[in-house]
Amino acid sequence: MPAAEGSSLAKPSDDRTARFLRHMEPLQAALEAYCRRSVHDQNAVGDVLQEATGKAFRDFHLYAEGTNFRAWIFRYLNLEIYAGNRAYHRQRHEALAEEPIVEEVWEQAIDEPLIERLLDNPEHVLSHCDDVLAKAIAELGPMERSVLLLRAIGQFKHREMADILGVPMGTIMSALSRARAQLRIRLAEYASENRLFGPGPLQNPK
Amino acid sequence: MNCDKVRQHWELYYDSEGDAELYLQINEHLADCQACAKWFFQQAQFEDAVTAKLAAAPASSEMWARILSDTGVVRRADARAWSFFGPFFALAASVVLALGIWQFNASTQPEHLSALAAAVHEQLASGTERIEFTSVSDEAVEDYLKGRVAFPVRCPPRKDAGFEVRGGGVCSIAGDNAAYVVGQVEDRDVSIFILPEERLAQFVHERDALVKEQVHHCREGEYDMVVAKIDRNVVVVIGHGHPEQLEKVVRAYGTYPEGPAVKGARITDEPRKPLAV
Repeated sequence: MPAAEGSSLAKPSDDRTARFLRHMEPLQAALEAYCRRSVHDQNAVGDVLQEATGKAFRDFHLYAEGTNFRAWIFRYLNLEIYAGNRAYHRQRHEALAEEPIVEEVWEQAIDEPLIERLLDNPEHVLSHCDDVLAKAIAELGPMERSVLLLRAIGQFKHREMADILGVPMGTIMSALSRARAQLRIRLAEYASENRLFGPGPLQNPK
Repeated sequence: MNCDKVRQHWELYYDSEGDAELYLQINEHLADCQACAKWFFQQAQFEDAVTAKLAAAPASSEMWARILSDTGVVRRADARAWSFFGPFFALAASVVLALGIWQFNASTQPEHLSALAAAVHEQLASGTERIEFTSVSDEAVEDYLKGRVAFPVRCPPRKDAGFEVRGGGVCSIAGDNAAYVVGQVEDRDVSIFILPEERLAQFVHERDALVKEQVHHCREGEYDMVVAKIDRNVVVVIGHGHPEQLEKVVRAYGTYPEGPAVKGARITDEPRKPLAV
């Protein structure tokens, strides 16, 4: 980001709109990326972002200057994402439990040697797994997905994620751990099925 | 701490969570245990690769213009004007950028991060430039910086690493924003500069040094300096402190025990133009 004069600093004399825009500008890319990865209906990305931005702007007088705006705005976005996903599933007449059943990591068959092969050369595997990665993230439970994406895209600390999602720190830590493990399992399985490991020539993925 | 115990804590270590003592204990173990060092490297390498895949792409300017307009944050006419003139502005910006790149390539030597950091430290330590935000609270300084730079910033080192935070702010190093934290190590002024890791490509000397070693030591004028890549930052610690003390400070960057925040933060001054070198 260029160091434009005063671009990253709040001026007490500025009006509410200017301060809001100044806070928002460096976060737009992260908010958008988080939203794209989190909403189930990709056509709703703009609407969800707009709803969250509108509500945050409406409540901006409640924001205390000097505190963590990133966490503040992500909290609004997260609420809208959850609401948008619920509405999407209602429209599709799908039953959406309040807490979807997430298969516990320890209940899944973890093939340790397979995971080790994945860890040996992750970039090679990941370069062939864009869709699988997106699908694996979409298949995570809402809490696991939120925590994984908040950490990866927003670079949030555990305590910030706890604030954003309104859950205890312990929940954040266990959800993040579960999400990472599930992602590894999915990617390792895919890589194995499509022969992305090993010395032989790369096979065409399924 | 044995291998099992250390590996149980790898996520806290990777996420720069947990307390400084745990972080230092794990570091000590990794220095002695090659198997665990390799194991930690593999975990981090995988998570870094996933994070890179998920990283935010540039924002869709058209969509954001519409959002900000429809929510009433900006006036509709402004948004329309931007939408109409946007392509012309983009073209003009491209020309300016191309000229800038040409001029940069034609006239510049590789920049030394150490020299630029030393110049800013000199101005901050001498009082030529006032510190933007003063606080003895590491959490307050962290929160202040997070609201002001677009890249991730971690918590400043705490007292148990020998660093007493005094404040922080944003400066410009080689044309882009960098966060800084100022404080003292045994009553001597020390500054910490934090840049996004991508900026390392700009500083060939430091980039090459960090390929060979985890923590790079150097000296710039009268100052000792250490540079390291931590989490997704390039961190420079500079001052009159002993090199080993500075290394301890850089290693403690981003680690802190959870606990009540120290209160007493205050903004000393009207917002200022970021200090630039």
